[in-house]
Amino acid sequence: MSERVVISPTSRQEGHAELVMEVDDEGIVTKGRYFSITPVRGLEKMLTGKAPESAPVYAQRICGVCPIPHTLASAEAMDDSLGIEIPKAARQLRELTLAAHHINSHAIHQFLIAPDVVPDDLMVTAINSVSEIRKTVQMVVDIVAGEGIHPSDIRIGGMASNISEVARKRLYARCKQLKPKLDAHVELIIGLVADKGFPEGLGVTNAPTLATDILYGNRENFDLDRFTEIMPESWFDDPEIAKRACSTVPLYDGRNVEVGPRARLATYGDFKERGVVAQHVARALEMKTALSKIIDTLAELDTSAPVMADFDIRGTNKLGVGAIEGPRGMDVHMAQVANGKTQFYSCLVPTTWNIPTMGIATEGFHHEFGPHVIRAYDPCLSCATHMIVIDDEDRSILKDEMVRI
Amino acid sequence: MVLGTYKEVVAARSTDKQIQKIAQDGGIVSGLFCYALDEGLIDGAVVAGPTDVMWKPEPMVAMSSDEILAAAGTKYTFSPNVWMLKQAVRQYGLEKVGTVAIPCQSMGIRKMQSYPFGVRFLADKIALTLGIFCMENFPYESLRTFISEKAGVDFDLVEKMDIGKGKFWIETADQTLTIPLKETHGYEQNGCKVCLDYVCELADVSTGSVGTPDGWSTVFVRTDAGETVFKQAVEAGLIETKSMDDVKPGLGLLEKLATDKKTKAMKVIDERKAMGLPVPYKGSSEKEDPLANI
Ligand SMILES: Cc1cc2nc3c(=O)[nH]c(=O)nc-3n(C[C@H](O)[C@H](O)[C@H](O)COP(=O)(O)OP(=O)(O)OC[C@H]3O[C@@H](n4cnc5c(N)ncnc54)[C@H](O)[C@@H]3O)c2cc1C
Ligand code: SF4
Repeated sequence: MSERVVISPTSRQEGHAELVMEVDDEGIVTKGRYFSITPVRGLEKMLTGKAPESAPVYAQRICGVCPIPHTLASAEAMDDSLGIEIPKAARQLRELTLAAHHINSHAIHQFLIAPDVVPDDLMVTAINSVSEIRKTVQMVVDIVAGEGIHPSDIRIGGMASNISEVARKRLYARCKQLKPKLDAHVELIIGLVADKGFPEGLGVTNAPTLATDILYGNRENFDLDRFTEIMPESWFDDPEIAKRACSTVPLYDGRNVEVGPRARLATYGDFKERGVVAQHVARALEMKTALSKIIDTLAELDTSAPVMADFDIRGTNKLGVGAIEGPRGMDVHMAQVANGKTQFYSCLVPTTWNIPTMGIATEGFHHEFGPHVIRAYDPCLSCATHMIVIDDEDRSILKDEMVRI
Repeated sequence: MVLGTYKEVVAARSTDKQIQKIAQDGGIVSGLFCYALDEGLIDGAVVAGPTDVMWKPEPMVAMSSDEILAAAGTKYTFSPNVWMLKQAVRQYGLEKVGTVAIPCQSMGIRKMQSYPFGVRFLADKIALTLGIFCMENFPYESLRTFISEKAGVDFDLVEKMDIGKGKFWIETADQTLTIPLKETHGYEQNGCKVCLDYVCELADVSTGSVGTPDGWSTVFVRTDAGETVFKQAVEAGLIETKSMDDVKPGLGLLEKLATDKKTKAMKVIDERKAMGLPVPYKGSSEKEDPLANI
C-alpha cells in the first residue's frame, strides 16, 4: 500500500515549495517530487526593451537571498554581449564581493539548519558565531560593492569605483582576524553535522554535478548547446503536480544535475562524498576557501588601478553569457543588446537546476528525513520560478496551464 | 529659542598660527577636525574640497590634517557634503566620520539618521557634525555673475569672500571690495527663502563669525559628542576661548539675525502654503512657536 506524505510549504528555506513523497508501509520514500509553488515574477520580460544598465539593477531584485550573484551574472552577461574586457582590479573587486557573499549566505544557511543539528546547549554559541562572521563579510560587500544587499557599484564594464587604501587595509585586517574564528566555526558545524548521525547514504543520487568554477564562475565552462529545458509536464509523472509546478526543468546533456558547493568541490577538487552530510561539509569548507580568497585578493589589490572599461553601450546583438557560482550553485544569465536596448534576457538560476534532483534525493529513506534532504540543498525559490515559454513565432503560450503574465 | 538648544556658547579661535592664517574665521572647523583626527575620535571628515575651478568646491573625504587644511575657508556655493557621506563609509571604509554642514545639510543628516532609508550602516558611523552658520547660499553662476558684474573683479583673482556687517566682502591681492547684501538678494537659491535655521541648530557644534570680532568665531556646543571634542581641544590648548559677554558685538546680534531670518522665512512659508505650494515646513498657524525650526 502506498501512501502520500505532503509537506507544503517546505520550511526554513527561501520561497515556497512542496515536497510530495510516496511512502511504503515502513514509511520509506519510494517516489519523491519537489517543486516550486512560488508565483512567477517575470523579471526577464520586464528587462526586455530597457537600457542595458537597468539589467543588473533589476536582476539583483529577483531575490533578497542572493542578490549578489544575480547582479554579477547580469553584469557579466552584459559585458559579454557588449564585448567588454573588464580591468583586472574590477575583476578582483567582483571576486571579493562574491567570496564575501558566499560566506555570508552559507552562514545564514547554517542558522537555518541550526534547529536540525545544533543541540540546545550550543545554540547560542553557534548563532553568535554565525552573526559575527556575517558582520565582517557583509562589511566587505558594503565597502567593495557599495551596498550589502543590493550592491550599487557592480556595473557593466567593471565597478563604479575602486576602494581606498584605508578601506583595503582595514578589510584585510578584519578578515585576517576573522580567520581563526571562521576556522573554529567550520569545525563546529562539521562536527555537529557528524554528531547528528544522519543515516549513511542519505540524499545520495547519481545525478551528475554541474559547476563552472571552484568559486567565482566561468562562462567558458558552461556549454549552452548541452542545455535543454523541458516543461514540468514532461518531467513529473503526476499531471496534478506538473500543473502546479512553477518552474521549468533544466537539463544538461539531457539529465537532471546537482549544483552548489558540493558540485563545485566535486568538479574542481577531489571531493568524493555525496549526499546530505557531504553537502553540509562542502558548504562549510567552502567558507574557508572563500575567506582565503578574500585575504589573498585584498593583499594583491591595487587601489589606484582603474576599474571601468571603455565600451559602446549600443551592442551588436551578440548573445552574452554571465556564469556566476552562487552559494546555491551556478547562476547563468544570458543577454542580447542591440541598438542600446536589451533585446533578450534569460536567467538559469541555481535552485532551478536542483529542483528535479531534490525530490529524487529523498528516495530510499524514511520520509521523516525528507526535509533534511531538501534543506541540505539550501533551496531558494524566488529566482527559481521561471518565465513561461512563449512561442516566438505566433506569441502563443505553449502550455496554457502555466501562470500567464 | 531662536539659537536652538545648546550647552554652552563661547567666543573661540584656533591657537595654531597656520590655521589662523588660512581659515575663514577662528579656524574652529579645521582646528576641531585636525584634533579629532589626531585623537582618533574620527577617522576622516567630509569637507568642501578645492577643485580645478576657482571657488567651486566638491565634497571630499579628508583623512589627514593636510587634506582638512586644503579645504579650509568658506566657499559661497554648494558643496553637497551629505551626498559624500555614503562614499566615506563605503569605498573609503571609514567608521567614525566627521562632516561640516550648513544648516540645511545638518537637517538632512539628522533626518537620515532618524529614517535611514537607503543608508544602511551609515547613520551610526557619523561621529561628529560641525555646523556652520548660514544666511543664504548661491548657485555657482549667481556668485560668478555678481562678483564679476557688480564688483567688477575677475573671479580668478578673488582670494577670499566673506559676509559680514551687511556686506559681501571680496578680497583680492591688492584690494578689498564690497557689495551691499541688499544687492546680492535675488541671487541666492530659492530654498534659502524658506530656511528657518541660521545657527545650525542640529549640529554637534556650530560656529560662525557673527557675534565675535574678526579672527574669532562664535561657538555653540550643542550635544554630548560636540562637548567631548570641544572641551578636549580647549584643554589640549588647541583652541582658546573667551566669554561671549566679553566680546563685541556679542550674542545680541546673533539673536537679532536669527529672529529676522526666521520671521522672513515664516512669511514666505505661509505665502507659499496659501498658494498650495509644497513646503517642507509647518505653517505658522500649525505650530506653537512660530519661529521653531520645524
Ligand atoms: C554658504 C555659507 C554661508 C555662510 N553664512 C554665514 C553667515 O551668515 N554668518 C556667519 O557667521 N557665518 C556664515 N558662514 C560660516 C562662515 O563663513 C565660516 O564657514 C565659519 O565661521 C567657519 O569658519 P572657520 O574658520 O571655523 O572654518 P574653517 O576652518 O575655515 O573651515 C571651513 C569649513 O567649511 C567647509 N565649507 C566651506 N564652504 C562650504 C560650503 N559651501 N558648504 C559646506 N561646507 C563648506 C570647508 O571645507 C571647511 O571645512 C557661512 C558659510 C557658508 C558656507
Ligand atoms: S540658508 Fe538654509 S537652505 Fe539656504 S544654504 Fe543656508 S542653510 Fe541651506
